[in-house]
Amino acid sequence: MCGIVGYIGERPAGPILLKCLARLEYRGYDSCGIAVAGGGLRVHKDAVRVEALKGQLPRRIEGKIGIGHTRWATHGAPSQVNAHPHCDCTGKIAVVHNGVVHNFQQLRQQLIKEGHTFVSETDTEVIPHLVEKYFAGDLEKAVAKALTEMEGSYAIAVLRDGEPELIAARKDSPLVIGIGDGENFIASDVPALLDYTSRVIYLEDDDIAVITGEGVQVKRGGNAVDRKPQRVTWSVEDAQKGGYEHFMLKEIHEQPKVIRDTIRAYLAAEETMADWDVLGKGDAGEMLMLACGTSYHAALVGKYVLEQLFKVPVRTELASEFGYSGQTSSQTQAIVITQSGETADALKAIKRLKSEGCPVTVLTNVVGSSATRLADHVVYTQAGPEISVAATKSYTAQLMALYWLALPLARIDLRRRDSLVAELRQLPGKVQRVLDDEEKIARHAAQMAEYDHVFFIGRGLNYPVALEGALKLKEISYIHAEGYAAGELKHGPFALLSSQAPVVAIVAPDNTYDAMLTSIKEVKARGSPVLALVAEGDEVVEEVADSVIAVPKVEPLFSPVVNTVVLQLLAYYAAKQRGCPIDFPRNLAKSVTVE
Amino acid sequence: MRQAVILAAGEGQRLRPFTVNRPKVMLFIAGKPILQYVIEALAQNGVRDIVLVVGYRKEQVLDYFGSGETFGVDLTYVTQERQLGTAHALAQAKGAIKDDFLVLPGDNLIAAETIDRFAATAPEAVLVKKVENPMRYGVVAVQRGTVKEIIEKPAEAASNLVSTGIYSFSRAIFDFVEPQLDLPDVVNRMISQSQKIKALETEGAWLDAIYPWDILSLNAAILQQTQAKSGGTVETGVTLKGQVSIGKGTVIRANSYIAGPVVIGDGCEIGPSVCIFPATSIGNNVVIAPFTEVKNSVIGNDVNIGSGSIIHDSVIDNSCNISGQFTACSGQEEIAVNQEHHSVNFGAMLGEGCTLGNSVTAQPGVIVGNYSQIRSLKLISGRLPDRSLVM
Repeated sequence: MCGIVGYIGERPAGPILLKCLARLEYRGYDSCGIAVAGGGLRVHKDAVRVEALKGQLPRRIEGKIGIGHTRWATHGAPSQVNAHPHCDCTGKIAVVHNGVVHNFQQLRQQLIKEGHTFVSETDTEVIPHLVEKYFAGDLEKAVAKALTEMEGSYAIAVLRDGEPELIAARKDSPLVIGIGDGENFIASDVPALLDYTSRVIYLEDDDIAVITGEGVQVKRGGNAVDRKPQRVTWSVEDAQKGGYEHFMLKEIHEQPKVIRDTIRAYLAAEETMADWDVLGKGDAGEMLMLACGTSYHAALVGKYVLEQLFKVPVRTELASEFGYSGQTSSQTQAIVITQSGETADALKAIKRLKSEGCPVTVLTNVVGSSATRLADHVVYTQAGPEISVAATKSYTAQLMALYWLALPLARIDLRRRDSLVAELRQLPGKVQRVLDDEEKIARHAAQMAEYDHVFFIGRGLNYPVALEGALKLKEISYIHAEGYAAGELKHGPFALLSSQAPVVAIVAPDNTYDAMLTSIKEVKARGSPVLALVAEGDEVVEEVADSVIAVPKVEPLFSPVVNTVVLQLLAYYAAKQRGCPIDFPRNLAKSVTVE
Repeated sequence: MRQAVILAAGEGQRLRPFTVNRPKVMLFIAGKPILQYVIEALAQNGVRDIVLVVGYRKEQVLDYFGSGETFGVDLTYVTQERQLGTAHALAQAKGAIKDDFLVLPGDNLIAAETIDRFAATAPEAVLVKKVENPMRYGVVAVQRGTVKEIIEKPAEAASNLVSTGIYSFSRAIFDFVEPQLDLPDVVNRMISQSQKIKALETEGAWLDAIYPWDILSLNAAILQQTQAKSGGTVETGVTLKGQVSIGKGTVIRANSYIAGPVVIGDGCEIGPSVCIFPATSIGNNVVIAPFTEVKNSVIGNDVNIGSGSIIHDSVIDNSCNISGQFTACSGQEEIAVNQEHHSVNFGAMLGEGCTLGNSVTAQPGVIVGNYSQIRSLKLISGRLPDRSLVM
């Protein structure tokens, strides 16, 4: 998991590369580097974040062609020598790479035998040496030959001092080319380029692009292919913090708008419904939902929602576990949820489902991502780019997509459907009310920050919410947190309850209400302080819990949305209280493109 | 070009319930917050480096304006933790100010023309304007183009020339700023120490909302400039007269009649058979059910209005859920705000997130607090606090 960038044009490449790299840090940030060519190749790299590298650089770096990299270690520990770009023996060729070269040991030994000298432990370093080996005056041909020897996944950018072009190529790793005016760009992801251009070409697997300041030529197997630039509707604004201290808080605050945008987009685009039509037609034998991380929690909510609305059995599984078992039939309607559309485990699952003949619908936030090219149907979530590593608005957008798309085909009576649609339209205001109550939630969070262990419990639709609340808290505040179905606490976790382990109970005014009350009483009996999320106006829970956060009343089916927003804020303010680097938690990256 | 500082931290206490969850600068007039008019006026005069002093409910400002990119400006935010005074607010921006700059209140609605000459005026200067009721403002005594004194809310006004709160300053101003002061006090201090302050008069728009019902007159005034635009779907049999602006993804269903100036936001569903008359603005994601009539009103975001309702001269804030047959018609009423008595003429003012059952009738001049719940068949009147329950 890494981010790569490239620049070629009339401006000094250094500052542009650094700015683009800073926007890719969510992909990994244990080390970074740039290589700039122009009267010699200069490489600057270290095991530091982009901002720190900027401080180490000489004031002026000559050269208008360059590449850059922000790394997330897979082979070789984060260190200066292992940081990209990597060079060949002559010091003229530089390569940045995102992906994994599976046969690098073999290639490395072969190259050493042929007299090449290696300095790093990385798999990537074989690439510049392979290019060096095959270079005979044409950089593109040399890269193409080198790639035929490699097994694995890659998005690469290559430059050679003295050559007037950048070469980019991809296979199973994301890569886009940004089209400027007399200048062009390469990046792993669109937000990196938004300061400079909104026109991009999405490369396909096995494409090789030759990029100069004037133009881009894309080839496959030596033949030119036509890849049309697309205009990206995200503005650079979307990728900035806009007055907030952290992207995460900004993104939490964007959720009312995300909900409103979802409703508008899906109302306007009838073809989206048509996509989903496959689920309603005939009788899908069963539905299978696959996802990882926070998207998996959205899928778990989706299970309850779809079972209620479609009245068919729905299975939800972790995409990363699906490869080891998981029976399917051609009757299985599969829904795969991946924010980035690049999650390696999700992509692998889609490929397997396709090979078994299952129709696959993908829910993703990224237009043109790898998952969209594999799926039969694509439903785009309306979250816009999400920079914070901890997912917030993308999760809400996933839930909204599931609700809105299920409703038109739901097997429920018309009155119920109308009331659900009306309630859905009211949801932005309900979420806004949670945000308006932020200060109160922050006070509860400050108390929670004192503890080292926190449990989250819920039942039914709010069981996944408990899981998500725990995930948010642990990933950004480093407090050990666990989410449980409330009924499972007594099968073990009770042993951990004490006055030092508070429990957050999510209580919805639905068919789980009485059972949740019982659970809270059981927890209280073990001495744990209880913070309960209750619907506004509830006076019963207040009597048994130590403290409550009242959330606006909503239709029970939609309670996961408002309750999750409360838990996001709880996690955010707990992390802030503990002084954690909220947007870039240790050891985590935004999207996980390795298995 | 030079910088501007916009003071956007104030609450606007007399505008409750509409300012319980947002600062005064974020009151929506004709589909845009007041602050947006100020920012656009600056941008049109080439001032794009803007420092926003935020405070009360600042998240509302951040969420809407972001980095300013969408509005063609570069925004820097500074926070005034406690709203002590306008001079204190300005002092918060000191670190972000490079050279000569303009200061503008974010809660007065202005147009580009209002500041076109003033934007190029060298410090120190104040922009003044003739108004009909100068006693509400800071009256400026001017002699040969120079300010002699600013007198805040005088019992008797010597002239009808008042300060717009828009100034042109150099960094020298910070020598005179003290935390407890308002900017007119600072200007008076400068004059007393023989600093020369120019007065420049403007003929352009300068509108202020002090009480909730002022929203209606501001809305009507600004809607006069509405340009017809359609970003949505208009079904057959719909009549659109005059200037009607329809947002993206909005659907106007058959047999509706809309007479402009009217502004309708994004993602709304209006009709069938809904009548909307001047001067009305409607937010985003609003549903108006059949046979409802809306006239001279301001409707917020995410509002649901049931069928057969009549809404005249009213303000309905975000997320209100109104069942059918709601009636709010205007009439003359006496009401009190902070012990001041006002004779007003409007329908209903509904705060955010109110839920109204079927067939609720509002007496003219009713002001309903946020999140109130009114059961079916109720007659509401007077002033209801936040979270009222009318059973």
